[in-house]
Amino acid sequence: MELTKLSIKSMREKLVSREITSAELLASFSERKDEYFAYVTQTSDLAVESAQVADLRIAAGENAPLLGIPGAVKDNICTDGIKTTCASKMLADFIPPYDADVVQRLKQSGYVLTGKTNMDEFAMGSSSQTSVFGGVKNPYDVTRVPGGSSGGSAAVVAARLAPFALGSDTGGSIRQPASFCGVTGIKPTYGRVSRYGLVAFASSLDQIGVFTKTAADSAEVLNVISGYDKRDATSANVPTPDFTSYLNRDVRGLRIALPDEYFGDTVGDDVRTAVLNAAKYFEESGATLVPCSMKVFDYAVSAYYLLACAEAASNLSRFDGVKYGLRGEGATYEQRIVDSRNKGFGAEVKRRILLGNYALSSGYYDAYYRKAQALRQEIIKEYNDVFTKADIILTPTAPEPAFKIGSSENDPIKMFLADICTVMANIAYLPGINTTCGYTDDGLPIGMSLIGKRFDEGGIIGAADFFERNFRRKDIP
Amino acid sequence: MWSTMLKPTIGLEIHAELLTQSKVFCTCPASFGGSENSRCCPVCSGLPGTLPVLNQKAVEFIIRAGMATECDISLFTKWDRKNYFYPDLPKAYQISQMPRPVCLNGKVRLKSGKVIRINRIHLEEDAGKLTHEGGATLADYNRCGIPLIELVTEPDFASAEEVTEFVAEIRARYMYCGISDGKMEQGSLRVDVNISLADEHADTLGTRSEIKNLNSLRSIARAIEYETHRQGEILGKGGKVTQETLRFSDGTGETSSLRSKEDAHDYRYFPDPDIPPVLITEEEIAVIRGTMPEMPSSRYDRYVNKCGIPHKDAENIVADKHLSDFFDEAATLLDEPRKIANYLLSELLYRINLGEGTTDNLPFTPADFVRVIELVEGGKVSRSHLKDILREMLATGSKPDSICEQNNYLIKEDLSLVSDTIDKILAENVAAVAQLKNGEQKVFGFLMGKANSLLKGAATPKIIKETLEKKLK
Amino acid sequence: MDNKTFEHLCVLSKLSFDDESAETTRRQLDGIIALMDKVKAIDLTYDDTLDKNEVPFASLRADKAEEPFSPERLLSNTQPKNDCYVIPKMMNVE
Repeated sequence: MELTKLSIKSMREKLVSREITSAELLASFSERKDEYFAYVTQTSDLAVESAQVADLRIAAGENAPLLGIPGAVKDNICTDGIKTTCASKMLADFIPPYDADVVQRLKQSGYVLTGKTNMDEFAMGSSSQTSVFGGVKNPYDVTRVPGGSSGGSAAVVAARLAPFALGSDTGGSIRQPASFCGVTGIKPTYGRVSRYGLVAFASSLDQIGVFTKTAADSAEVLNVISGYDKRDATSANVPTPDFTSYLNRDVRGLRIALPDEYFGDTVGDDVRTAVLNAAKYFEESGATLVPCSMKVFDYAVSAYYLLACAEAASNLSRFDGVKYGLRGEGATYEQRIVDSRNKGFGAEVKRRILLGNYALSSGYYDAYYRKAQALRQEIIKEYNDVFTKADIILTPTAPEPAFKIGSSENDPIKMFLADICTVMANIAYLPGINTTCGYTDDGLPIGMSLIGKRFDEGGIIGAADFFERNFRRKDIP
Repeated sequence: MWSTMLKPTIGLEIHAELLTQSKVFCTCPASFGGSENSRCCPVCSGLPGTLPVLNQKAVEFIIRAGMATECDISLFTKWDRKNYFYPDLPKAYQISQMPRPVCLNGKVRLKSGKVIRINRIHLEEDAGKLTHEGGATLADYNRCGIPLIELVTEPDFASAEEVTEFVAEIRARYMYCGISDGKMEQGSLRVDVNISLADEHADTLGTRSEIKNLNSLRSIARAIEYETHRQGEILGKGGKVTQETLRFSDGTGETSSLRSKEDAHDYRYFPDPDIPPVLITEEEIAVIRGTMPEMPSSRYDRYVNKCGIPHKDAENIVADKHLSDFFDEAATLLDEPRKIANYLLSELLYRINLGEGTTDNLPFTPADFVRVIELVEGGKVSRSHLKDILREMLATGSKPDSICEQNNYLIKEDLSLVSDTIDKILAENVAAVAQLKNGEQKVFGFLMGKANSLLKGAATPKIIKETLEKKLK
Repeated sequence: MDNKTFEHLCVLSKLSFDDESAETTRRQLDGIIALMDKVKAIDLTYDDTLDKNEVPFASLRADKAEEPFSPERLLSNTQPKNDCYVIPKMMNVE
């Protein structure tokens, strides 16, 4: 029996029936080697211990949703007593004295932490190549990037090093790597999952989400990590539905919008074809396709980077080499702080800090930051209009499939533009899920995104689950 | 002479720490002091991944401050980040309020009738404490995140006297609403002064300097006087005042230049994405308004105009909310406000000023105090025992009646004993009685003295005097 | 972007660059800003009261103090002195 291919639900059933133990389950994942630089830290000893504890709890008749299930956590999510580096030299030795809210919830549900996953430095990037520890490789083709910034988490799930991994998504950092690595990745509605303990990149856009093999698995994990947290004032005090109740449904009567702008020249032919084929399949299965237009599309990337970098510049100011993090040299406070930041941050992070300060600085604020805020309101308005005619929106996740390592991740503008399909959902606080809808001739996965109304993760999980049950995935051997 | 032509224009920023239980954006205790970094958590220490969560009481308290100063209370209010690097600010930004503060457009009337306009009051977080030791600086973040309100006036002041009256008034009002302890010496209330000089007929203001962190009324007055003089001399010589931030030294009595916090002076304010804006309803405002105490200026008017208390006494009572509350309660029990004021200031406050107690923690009730007044005024206890009774009440909180009983202070009014004792005195002092009858009036005092000392506690001096007079007729 | 603006941004960001990397970074920023300039083309005004992300006053955190962290745990990622963070010599302070 290939345990790593099981759904989380069947793993739980086999654990509960004592057919397998958590230790065996963990071993089946840890036997597989991380050849992709997917992890920054592997917590192997701790994992073995946690699995043993889980087995005792199961033997004692305890029943928690993820009891005994292995899982990985992106390395920008704080874990008490375990290094949390953000893949940056700045935090290479940082050990948080607290758990993120999601980690507390996972612990309470009995998960087994396998390790902290590699990423773009401070989650800034779409390739997972800006990690100070070395770039992540795509399990489908190790000469290609896994996408980013949560590339490590995507690779962990694709390579079946763990059945699930948490990621964070600020402008596509879950959905895009999920599409490059051929797995399911969901970014919940802003506020659905607490950000407490997530090292902030852009606070109004960041959202923690989940990578899994399937939408059905993502429902299991999302059930655990969702919910109001009094330590995050932006977390929503709304009830968490049972997301698994949206599984195994059909799509009859579902209205799916296809915004024209997402299917123009900006996306490659094979991507367009694969996503339109998926749309056709939905239609044949009883859904209605709704053509529509989102005029703000052309401005979205600019608005996104202005908002994200402005917030990032402020969020990353706290790294001064005094309280924690890389300690630079210099006899005076002023010299120390500049030296710490010069050495601690990589080129992409520095560019974004500079850009963010530019957008906020006196004389430029109104033209850039304030205009981006206005665009945000406009984007939300356009989504609201679309959602009067449709239940979900279907778009490509990325313009192209995974690109070659070294091909374009050093061209900042090209990298910014590659986020064009994903940033709008973050700007509008909406949930989005990526699932695989096709493969290129070279066997590279192509992903599509389903965007839902605020707090309608159930709707997009249900649609993705329907598609997945009728689509043949090409798993990594 | 320059001094006759140049007039100062002064504006203020008054910072006050709020008396909440917890800090403004985290649940650490907001109390003063504590050993280094012992009142901190990952949030107020600025550790990565942590988030601020706004304290409702801090918002209620700034609303109270706004009501105390006739501000408009905003129904929609937001918090912004003020970005600058300084080691007392662990996040490298201070959470403050820029375009949408809680309070706007207030005013306070000085005793002269002049109105000082308040531009705004906003709610922000305090910074940590740095101590410079040898070559290094040590940072303690206990104070980080203590709620701080900043009141900004229009440049409406023309003298140090107006400024100190205003600061004292704001301090009293904050203490009256229970939002600040007003302790300037501990830094829980601190003042920045903006000051510029210009020709009295000029229609534009001169270049201003800002004196930071003044923490006593005396320093404020001295700093303003020094700075007025300094700028006057510069302008008098035809020079130009530089716009700068200054500190005032209590030791030298002089101002000196302070390095600015951010060399670039570009704070890049933007709405804090971690803190959603807050909506306050008219109903919530009405509820808070319903709990507002009468302000000191209005109490002062009442004491002077309705109670007939002298100005100075009214001022002294109002200056201390605890005293004023005590007075008001006592006045509901005894309709003699002037008498109460008199006993309160010359007897009770006198003892308190000697260090026998504090007004915020009196161990007895206004009813007990009124009882003391009644005992003395009703002739039940000699006035000479008053200080002993009050001293014991302050020390033990005992009831006045039991103190008097235990110490034999109660005048028994034993008329036969008075009569017998006076007869005896007159018999023993035949010569004196003869002198008195010859018209030597001063001898009466001698006899009164004898009677008083022998009859102490047996009767009031009035009865003794009447009996003596009767027997001498 | 002129040199002065770039220098100003470096001061605000507490970063510094040697001549060569300054030139590269500045050129890259110019390219990015050209992309950002797109937002100037659209005529929109921002009204913060329309964000609709406010929370009611009644939902704010109740004022209750909780046990703080121990200095030992808080300062575990630095080398403290007397339970304080140590800051190198500051210029122009008392």
